[in-house]
Amino acid sequence: MEKFFELLTQMNPFDLVQVIFWGMAGAISFYFSIGNARVWTSISIGFFLIFLSQAYGINPWGHYQKLTAFHYIVGTVAIMMITHGFLEYYVFCRTFEISGNKLIVYLSTLGILAASGAFLLINPNPSPNTIRNIRMVENAIWVFLCVMNIELVRKIYLAIKDSDISKGFIAFGLVFFFIFLWKGSELYLQIFQWDQDWQDIIALMTDESTDFDQYPARIQFSQEVRRYAGLLSGISVGGTFTYIYRLLK
Amino acid sequence: MFLLPKGNPLFENLAVTKLKLPDVLLKLSTGGFTGYSSFVFQTSTVILVFEAGKLVSALLEDRNGKRQNGFEALSALAELMVSSGSGTMNVYKLSKDLTMCIHALLEGETLYKAQELKLIDINSLLGKVKNDRMNGCLRIYTEEHSAMIFYKEGNPLGFFHDGSGDIESSSSESQKIAGLPGAKIDLFATQSVEEIMGINLLEVANIQKIWDATVALHQSEIDRTNKERQERDIKAATLRLAELEEQVKVIVGEYVGKVGRGIVDKELSENGGNSCLIDEAGFAKFLSGVERAAKLLISGTNIKAMMEKLTSTITIAKSDS
Repeated sequence: MEKFFELLTQMNPFDLVQVIFWGMAGAISFYFSIGNARVWTSISIGFFLIFLSQAYGINPWGHYQKLTAFHYIVGTVAIMMITHGFLEYYVFCRTFEISGNKLIVYLSTLGILAASGAFLLINPNPSPNTIRNIRMVENAIWVFLCVMNIELVRKIYLAIKDSDISKGFIAFGLVFFFIFLWKGSELYLQIFQWDQDWQDIIALMTDESTDFDQYPARIQFSQEVRRYAGLLSGISVGGTFTYIYRLLK
Repeated sequence: MFLLPKGNPLFENLAVTKLKLPDVLLKLSTGGFTGYSSFVFQTSTVILVFEAGKLVSALLEDRNGKRQNGFEALSALAELMVSSGSGTMNVYKLSKDLTMCIHALLEGETLYKAQELKLIDINSLLGKVKNDRMNGCLRIYTEEHSAMIFYKEGNPLGFFHDGSGDIESSSSESQKIAGLPGAKIDLFATQSVEEIMGINLLEVANIQKIWDATVALHQSEIDRTNKERQERDIKAATLRLAELEEQVKVIVGEYVGKVGRGIVDKELSENGGNSCLIDEAGFAKFLSGVERAAKLLISGTNIKAMMEKLTSTITIAKSDS
């Protein structure tokens, strides 16, 4: 516990606030998944998993590299779950078919996470470079699935725009826009090797140089976008689920 | 309608609907019956004349005075017995002479029909009968009573009135009827007994076949009517269900939005069509499906209100049908 509080005091206050908001959003979305229709389960579980993926900063055992890698894998599973949920919702809007049950969704999610954990366990300890690669893959998946989800949400909204819940999908569109900015700016920094992880890697482990100092403005801008869009994403997810909860009450 | 004096009644006011023509004719024939049998329906009267068990004459007269004889009359009688649903049969025993007079009368020609007695010169008419040396019959009748005076070569042969089994010589009953208000007369020219054909209609007509064909035809008519009614009922029920389905779609659409119609269509097709709306178990499943889908789109409060409205609409529709 002491280690946990020590980590909290060491964290950047901005990142801490972001994790707290994601914690609240995760709690709200998880609660939402319990009391609502099956189709919402994938979506809300997915958003809950974002919190788990963001919580590595406050994880007392976060210095274990396999655990850090696991956090990023959880992040990838999160966006896949969310996309699966919105796809199901879109199918429902076109065919009115609702299939499956909540327990299977919960168990499948646990199964995927367990399989990911097993994958990390049976493989060598990931280097910082490998962890950065995993994180970059996660961000790439997030960016492209965010674009796809914005299109799905638009189509869902058009199909159900005269129902109670339709405005909730506009809110989801906003959520994915913020997440797109958040993950997109992070991916941008990673692709051009301007991210903090790469700076740490080359400072300690390689002889490679960096052009970090040549583009301070765009790097600064991207970092600010990442910070604020990440914060807004957490706030908007919590707000959206609260709003939908009220619409469906 | 043709009303004969009643003679000696053997049976009166038997319900025709319970009788079968072949059985009736067989019974009168094998019993060697002499006299006449009348079948009185709302639209027609049929008279069958028997002489020693032989069916010598059959006459049908409808309300308008239109007549049918012989085979046609028997066929029409069978049809009336099968299809009229009402009617009475009377059987009156008569002497052989009187029976032959009735037979001759039925085969004869109508000269005057339904003449108001008070409007005609009866003496002049009787003078004409005498002068023309007519073979004939003068029928004097009211709505309920009837008497007949038979003439042979212009001379009165005798009288026949209610309760008499033979030709009588007393004219008192005829005079009595002639004095009743509204009394009318018919004058018929009859054929001589020698001229009328003594054919037994039971031998030339297959009564059983006529009866069976009539019953079969009537049954097919009933079947056709039933089928038409069933088709009408099915069509009406289909129409009612379609109206109910539309009502349900409007209600769900009102709460859920335009996708509501699609949800209703999908649930109806999964529960065997719109007939599930009036089936208790089917409607429960339908409602559950609509509710499950609506949970993804509208608030709990609206779902509750929609369910109540749907249930009350279906309850009203069920009680109306």
